[in-house]
Order: sequence, then structure tokens, then C-alpha cells
Amino acid sequence: MSLEQRYRRVLRLLPRYYRDAWEEDMVATFLDSWLTGDPEEDDAILELCKPTVEEVASVVALAGRLYVGGAGAPRRYLAWGQAVRNVVLVVLLVHVIRAIAGFVFIAWLHHKLGWLPAPPEPNATSVIASRPAAAVPSTVPPPHAVTVTSDGIWPAVWYTVGYAWIVVYLTLIFGYYRTARAIAMLAIVPDFVYLMAQRFIDHQSSHVGPWAFWVLLDLVPVLALAAFHRDAPPVARRLWLLAMPVSFLLLGMPLLAVQISGHGSSLPDWPGMCCILVALGCLVHAPRARSGRVTGTGVWSLTMILLAGLAAVQRIASLADYVNDPHMARLGVAELFVMLVAAAFVVEDGVRAQASATSTSTSPRTSS
Amino acid sequence: MAFITMTGQAFFVLTALADGPRHGYGIVREVADLSQGRVKLKIGSLYGVLDRLTIDGLIEPDREESHEGRLRRYYRLTREGRLALAEEADLRSATARVARSRLGLIGLEAAR
Repeated sequence: MSLEQRYRRVLRLLPRYYRDAWEEDMVATFLDSWLTGDPEEDDAILELCKPTVEEVASVVALAGRLYVGGAGAPRRYLAWGQAVRNVVLVVLLVHVIRAIAGFVFIAWLHHKLGWLPAPPEPNATSVIASRPAAAVPSTVPPPHAVTVTSDGIWPAVWYTVGYAWIVVYLTLIFGYYRTARAIAMLAIVPDFVYLMAQRFIDHQSSHVGPWAFWVLLDLVPVLALAAFHRDAPPVARRLWLLAMPVSFLLLGMPLLAVQISGHGSSLPDWPGMCCILVALGCLVHAPRARSGRVTGTGVWSLTMILLAGLAAVQRIASLADYVNDPHMARLGVAELFVMLVAAAFVVEDGVRAQASATSTSTSPRTSS
Repeated sequence: MAFITMTGQAFFVLTALADGPRHGYGIVREVADLSQGRVKLKIGSLYGVLDRLTIDGLIEPDREESHEGRLRRYYRLTREGRLALAEEADLRSATARVARSRLGLIGLEAAR
């Protein structure tokens, strides 16, 4: 395989419409940057050399930008780009609700909410209370609650991370994309450090669930923040601002109420809760998506499909933690099945949304 | 054209095309020269910038020439591209003057 073929193989990462417009020019420029004009030397270069890591990285970065609807992208990439942005906002909203629920829960534990039933004895709750994000059982990442001691710096770190997610969400909504990216990158570090420390310093048995949570709901959304680029339409500020209190009232408060009333153990685990919520979202959205009378539903159908994918991967990965618990494993499979059936109702609309591949790209045709 | 925030790479590419059309590799070399070797455009980055500038109407394809069996496409500035580059150059030049003044470099240079 020659250098040219190797480079063309790298360029396959780019969307087809973009390759049609730019591939030959990119290959010519790439080869120009390598070849010397000396036939013997050039033969050796073409035969032996490979595109450098930096060259490949620049193509990967370009491909990433184009697939999430960069300027001039065809409609289907614009639709996927918008869907990815919606998914990121939904996941961030989940982090925000977890954080707020955690703060309320801690306030309750410290008797700051006197109108609520008294919390249990401190010893019974000190462990879970030290981590705001773990306040509500269904928001605890792994099937088995992360046990964080109340000593050391971790409690303060979790509080800070909770605040950080709220700041990320708001900065994103108000269009400060770089700031949001920078803070989000920092916000995912403590969980990673904690999981690594648990695995390699404390030598605790490593569950799959927390890692699946970190990868799917921390790392992936942070990487997907790249979809918020200068060509992306601004975030619907009012909608997403309103989503914060509404989601907390509809989701956070009921879960907190269950927890405070002492029935937290009856809730599904975190991956199961994700499956149920996504399934509900699909079923609520399905009538609009299937009616064909409402325009613009396709992006939300794609959003639900992506969310279902995230929830499914998390559910499947966390089943590994239930090898010795057939009941929980069966329950997990059932939750997954229900969600996939619900997601099937919006697939058709999602496919329709990205089927139209009419290119609006400014093709660089030569004019004289 | 209204002022747009221009990236450093876009500024270098437009500057490279200011004195005439260039093909892709010509732009890469010119940008390296202009930046005294500090900006080495990778091909993916270059075509990200060219695509962006084409869509913004600041550059356009000029002609295509065959070179050793490969097609080289030349790019040129549009009228809007010239205006945008001039505006950006003025802004950067004014900012540089202020920076040099605040650092006390203008007096030092005059004394040399």
C-alpha cells in the first residue's frame, strides 16, 4: 500500500459529501508536502512512509466537526449534530438534578428542612451523605452504592463537582462554549481519580457500573461538547432554563420524597432508572413523531434514539455486576427490553429526519 | 462586511493569499514562512480553514492545474476576503502598537 492509499484510507473518516468536494485536493496537497522531486527518494517515500499521527489527528478533528453539523453540512449531519447537542444538554440536566437533589438531601440530613420528617441516625447516613451526587439511591451510579468515607477531602470535592455541573449547564445555555468545555473537563476528573484510587490504592473489588457511568455520562458528553461549535444554532435558552426547575419538580422531588420516606430501596438501580426514563420519554414523544402532522420532530426522535443507546450500553455493562443475583439480572434485562420496545416507536421518524442528504455544502468548484 | 472574529489560522491563510492565488501546499509553505516556522498547518486543519473561508465567502477557487498527474486547485481572495483581512490586519496592528507602547518597547526601538 502506498503513502497515497494510506492517506486516502484516513480520509475515509470524513463524510462522503466532504470527500467528494475536497478529497483530491487534500491528497494532492498532502503528497506535495512529502515529495521532494527526486524520483528515487520519492519512490521510497511513497512506498515506506505513513501519514503522521498529527496528520491523522487533524483529519479526525475535521471529521468530528463535520459529523456534528459543521458549516455547510448536509441536512442529515445537521440533524445528527442537533441531536447530539440535545443529548449533551439532557445528560447535563441529569447531573444538575443530581447535584440539586444532593444539596437538598444534605440539608435534610442536617435538619435544615424542619418541615420534613426527621432524618435517621447520623451513623446510618454519614456514608452516603458525604457524596451529594449519591443522595438519591437511583442516582447512585453503580448497582451497589459508592461508599465514600466522610473523612478527607472527598465530601468537599463532590460538592464542588455538583456546583460545577450547574455552571457547565448554564454557561452552555448562554453560549460560553469554551468555558463550559473547560469546566466540564475538570468536573469529570474527581470521579475518575476516585474510581482509580478505589481500584488501585484501596484494592476494592471493581464494579463495572461506576465505570460505565463515568464513561457514558461523564466522558462521552464532555467529548460531545465539541458539537457546540460556532456554526451550531444557539441553544433554546428559555426551554432549557425552564427544564431545570421542571425536571427537578417532576423527577428530583419525587425521588427525594421516596428516599426521605424511607422507601429508597424499592427504587430501581441507576441504569434501570435511566432505561425507564428514556422509555417514558420515547412513549411521550411517539404520538407526535408518528402522526406526521408535526414538523421538526425528527431531531428529537434522533435524540431519543441516542439516549436509548447510552442507556442500553450502561444497562448491559452493569449487568456484569449481577452475575450472582439472577433476580436483579432478570429485572435489568426486562428494563432494557421495555426501553428498546419504546424506542422502536420513534425510529422511523428518526430515520426520516436524516434520510434527506441534500448537500448544502459550498463545493469548491473552480471559477475562472 | 461586518467584523468577524478571525482565528489565527484563518488570518494566516488569508494573508498567504493576499498577493495572489495559491494551491494548498503553497498556502502551507507561505503560512510557515509568514509565521517564521511557528505555524505548521496540517492538511486536515488547512482544509477545515479553507472550507470555512469558502463558505463565509472570503476565498474562492481560482483555477486547477495538473502537476505530476495530480490536480492542484488554486484559491484566491474574494473582495469580501480582502476587506475582512484589511480590517483584521488593522485591528491586530493597532493592538500590537498598544502592546509595544505599554511594554515601553517603542521608546527603546527609537533609541537603538
